[in-house]
Amino acid sequence: MPELIDVVEALLFASDTPVEAERIREVLDLESATVARELVLELRERLDAQGRALQVVEVGGGFRLVTRPEIAPWLVKLARSRTRSRLSRPSLETLAIIGYRQPVSRPEVDAIRGVNSEAVLDNLLERRLIRIAGRKESAGRPFLYETTREFLVAFGMRDLGDLPKVEGELVVPELAEAAAAQLLEPAPESGPEQGESAAAADSSEQDPGSGGDRVTAGS
Amino acid sequence: MSAPETAQSVAPDSGLTVRIESFTGPLDLLLHLCRTNELDLSRLPVRAITDQYLAHLESVRFQDLESAGSFMVMAATLIYLKSKLLLPANPDEAEEAFDEEGELLRRELEERLREYARVKALGAWLGEREAEQALIYGRTTAELPPPEDIPLEDLSVHLLQRALQRLIEDQKRRAPRQVEPNPLSVLERMSEILDLLRSTWSLLFSSVAGPEKLRAEWVVTLLALLELVRLGQARARQAELFGEIVIERNAVSVHAPEAAASPDLEASELPDPEPGESPHA
Repeated sequence: MPELIDVVEALLFASDTPVEAERIREVLDLESATVARELVLELRERLDAQGRALQVVEVGGGFRLVTRPEIAPWLVKLARSRTRSRLSRPSLETLAIIGYRQPVSRPEVDAIRGVNSEAVLDNLLERRLIRIAGRKESAGRPFLYETTREFLVAFGMRDLGDLPKVEGELVVPELAEAAAAQLLEPAPESGPEQGESAAAADSSEQDPGSGGDRVTAGS
Repeated sequence: MSAPETAQSVAPDSGLTVRIESFTGPLDLLLHLCRTNELDLSRLPVRAITDQYLAHLESVRFQDLESAGSFMVMAATLIYLKSKLLLPANPDEAEEAFDEEGELLRRELEERLREYARVKALGAWLGEREAEQALIYGRTTAELPPPEDIPLEDLSVHLLQRALQRLIEDQKRRAPRQVEPNPLSVLERMSEILDLLRSTWSLLFSSVAGPEKLRAEWVVTLLALLELVRLGQARARQAELFGEIVIERNAVSVHAPEAAASPDLEASELPDPEPGESPHA
């Protein structure tokens, strides 16, 4: 009779998606998801202690059994491929916008990036990193986009809380039409409002920037 | 590996250094110009930036109109702002209002740049994460049999549309096939039946009309059979309503001499329940 912890290992091994603690509880008929979680953590410690090639990671709200990064060179050799296809810089920036402001429409993404994002969004949809969350009740009823579980898995995040903290929301600039209208008749309330958000953006601008630098220096 | 890429494009040279292809939009370029000039974003240096921005545009051949357009809009904004700065301040009220608007536009541009700088940093952070994740491997397809109920909540209409689109494209790529018109002729069908009757005594209507039960085929075959019966070259039997019609060689048909003698004899022995009866199909 195999031990429960071994069964947990097998579950993680066999599944192609992260396995939630609740699902493990269900399969093993455990009393609570907490017990299931404890089993997983025990497995994780065991694998770590034994210095095995596999490790347990928590991503996208569940657990996965994956290889350790140190093994990568051999796996790359096995796959006879130099690298996996990476996302382009525009794609990453677009994902960042959606990650923080979801659900968000294309005009809003366009406004922040200053360029048309249609092709980038299509690519992200195709890779299932984002999905359509509905329509925005504004002119033209554009689609709203949100990130998927695949997004969390692809970037090794447990949930959206793992994104670096930014102070305040990402500010969507006034869309082109609104900006033009502003030019013709300056809206009285836009002055203080802009100053406020500019100040907020100012203080938080350092935050992700320095975070990025730290990662670069560490690797 | 987006961070090293960025590092390359933000080369330490203070002059005009960079290939514009690496810029994904006007904000990207503008931000780069501010950074290479080590200028503070909070005081957007319109004067210095505009010239450099325009110089970049001149050195570039745009791939498509759309991206060129967005770069040009930014250029126009910069030129407008610069013109505001060059013109001496006028106590004229209308001019003042214009300056306020110019200032508003400048501030908005600043804000957008700052926002974009944040997004860029976040994108770089995601890039780092992606690079880290690229080193670990997990299952991508399960060995487990597919679940009985496929969770649909993660699937979108977009994916369905994509799948359909691919299917349609697939069809389009196939070489067009010449569809041969097959004019069904009662006369041809008549001779077909007679040919068959030459080698066999009886045959089933359905075997002549085809198992696909194409309406046209069945109609033509029936007409052919009726004509043969009328000419006395075949007989037809149908045991029950809507039942199978059995076509038989007519013993005294005009074609009989062509057939072998012995089958002829056997034919006369055959029961002849409803001679010449036309079938109710």
